Amino acid sequence: MQWFNLFNANIRKEYIELKRYLPNTLAMLFTFYFVFLGMFFGIQVIGDPSVQDINTQYAIVNYVFWFLTIMVIQDIGWQVINEGMRDTLEQLSMSPMGIWKIMTTRLLATTLLNFIIVVFLLFLSMLTTGQWLNIDVGTLLPILLLTLISMFGIGFIIAGISIVLKQVQAFLQILQFILAGLTFVPLTVAPFLAFFPFVKGVDLVRSVMIDGVTLSQIQATDWAILSVNAVVYFVLGLFIFLYCERFAMKRGLLAHY
Amino acid sequence: MESIIEVRNIKKTYKKRKSKEIITAVNDISFTVNKGEILGLLGPNGAGKTTTIKLICGLLIPDSGFIKVNGIDTQEKRLHALRHISAVLEGNRNLYWRLTVRENLEYFAGNRGKSRKEVALEIDDLLEKFRLKEKEKELVNRLSRGMQQKLAIAVAMLADSEVILLDEPTLGLDVETGYEVREMLQDIVKNYNRTIIISSHDMDVIQNLCERTVIINHGEIVTNDKVDNLLRLFDVRAYTITLDGFLSEHQQQLLLQKFPQLEYIPDTIQSTLKVDLTKSEEIYDLFDVLKLEHTPVESIDKKTVNFEEVFMKIVKGEKQYAMV
Repeated sequence: MQWFNLFNANIRKEYIELKRYLPNTLAMLFTFYFVFLGMFFGIQVIGDPSVQDINTQYAIVNYVFWFLTIMVIQDIGWQVINEGMRDTLEQLSMSPMGIWKIMTTRLLATTLLNFIIVVFLLFLSMLTTGQWLNIDVGTLLPILLLTLISMFGIGFIIAGISIVLKQVQAFLQILQFILAGLTFVPLTVAPFLAFFPFVKGVDLVRSVMIDGVTLSQIQATDWAILSVNAVVYFVLGLFIFLYCERFAMKRGLLAHY
Repeated sequence: MESIIEVRNIKKTYKKRKSKEIITAVNDISFTVNKGEILGLLGPNGAGKTTTIKLICGLLIPDSGFIKVNGIDTQEKRLHALRHISAVLEGNRNLYWRLTVRENLEYFAGNRGKSRKEVALEIDDLLEKFRLKEKEKELVNRLSRGMQQKLAIAVAMLADSEVILLDEPTLGLDVETGYEVREMLQDIVKNYNRTIIISSHDMDVIQNLCERTVIINHGEIVTNDKVDNLLRLFDVRAYTITLDGFLSEHQQQLLLQKFPQLEYIPDTIQSTLKVDLTKSEEIYDLFDVLKLEHTPVESIDKKTVNFEEVFMKIVKGEKQYAMV
């Protein structure tokens, strides 16, 4: 019940702030859409006409997934930076629930809210291009869940680094490009990337949405890789986060921004 | 009396980033706080007050020693110990500026695992008590500093913990709001039966609210005693004697030999002697010197010492007053 109350409080806070910072939210949506339009028209104008449709489909899936990845992985880092600047990080650290639980519920809350935005953007992109992808919820949902868990792990690592170093904005900017690389590069080019946090997930999502692969057609080894990635990266992320929290408490870094 | 906080041989050092110099913030400090007590934590800037507060809150890990809250070791069972503590730390009052007054209260209660429904009545009660009811839908960034401070204290109250730590609760407040916050704290002690530790530079707050004070200087405790005792200790020894006329050179020399810190202010009509006596009997020695030349005494005033003066005397290194 305490977990539920914690989640409830955090999703409510995130929703209220999303509403109160509406211009910022709208600016984010417009930026996404205009960059996408640029990509789309680029494919139309300079792309090979014979593979135009398939390129557009790849662009939609990769771009939307990249957007989701940035929001999920970077969000917790920004949250820590903002809490540090607002002098509320110490107050959160004093919760008997533990800061990692607060951050986990924050992650769940922001992911849920961002997911709604991402779904809206996905349909907007499909509507704009006229390319309707295969939205097989039953197949996509378990893939996404496992992929998101591994993303949470990376989010925790970034949050931990943010607690100790605080000023990591430049790193977060660079991270966007690393995430873009991991999202856009197909697994056939670099198979070892399957063991990176979310690459296998995005590859499977592409297979489902573009090639129409169904749940039963996904190999057991794919599920195994997804599950192992989810567990390993989440546990590793949490471990690093808790270590960084303790390190910050030893050095007195929680309050300093 | 049963103690609720036990601080034992705590040491905390920091390493400076560039010079790698080791700074000792608190050095082997020990004290206890009794249940229902209101303790003042005093010291000049950089003395180690905030470090001590944060160590008790579990926001810092000590190099050595231990802290127990309600018998729970803050290092071994940190989260368990945190159930018994809430705090208002210095800074931007630890609030979310884009949430309303009520939303802040609900959010922080949620972070301690409580539902909105569960705390609704309690929030109403606190809003009334803290005179924030009319502002409950106001964004925090539109509130005055005093109201933000009251809200921060209300958030700490809502945690329902036995111990509340307040770091500089009246800092930056105008006289009126400072007085209001002081009254509020008095009310909390009286009606809510909480144990409070206040770190403050505001001596009026300490003198009016606290039963006992721990004075820290250079990371070490220099005094741990009841406020009344400290006032009494300095009060009985401070005298101002008004004379009708002057002291002779000989008298002045004799007095300065006996009382090196004596202050003599000669005046054409009335001269003044200010003296701090180590023992009250020393007043007879002073009168013996006056009697030598039959210097007429107009009046003798026992100086009323306020707590600020007591604090200054202790911090200036008069370690002989330490009664740890």
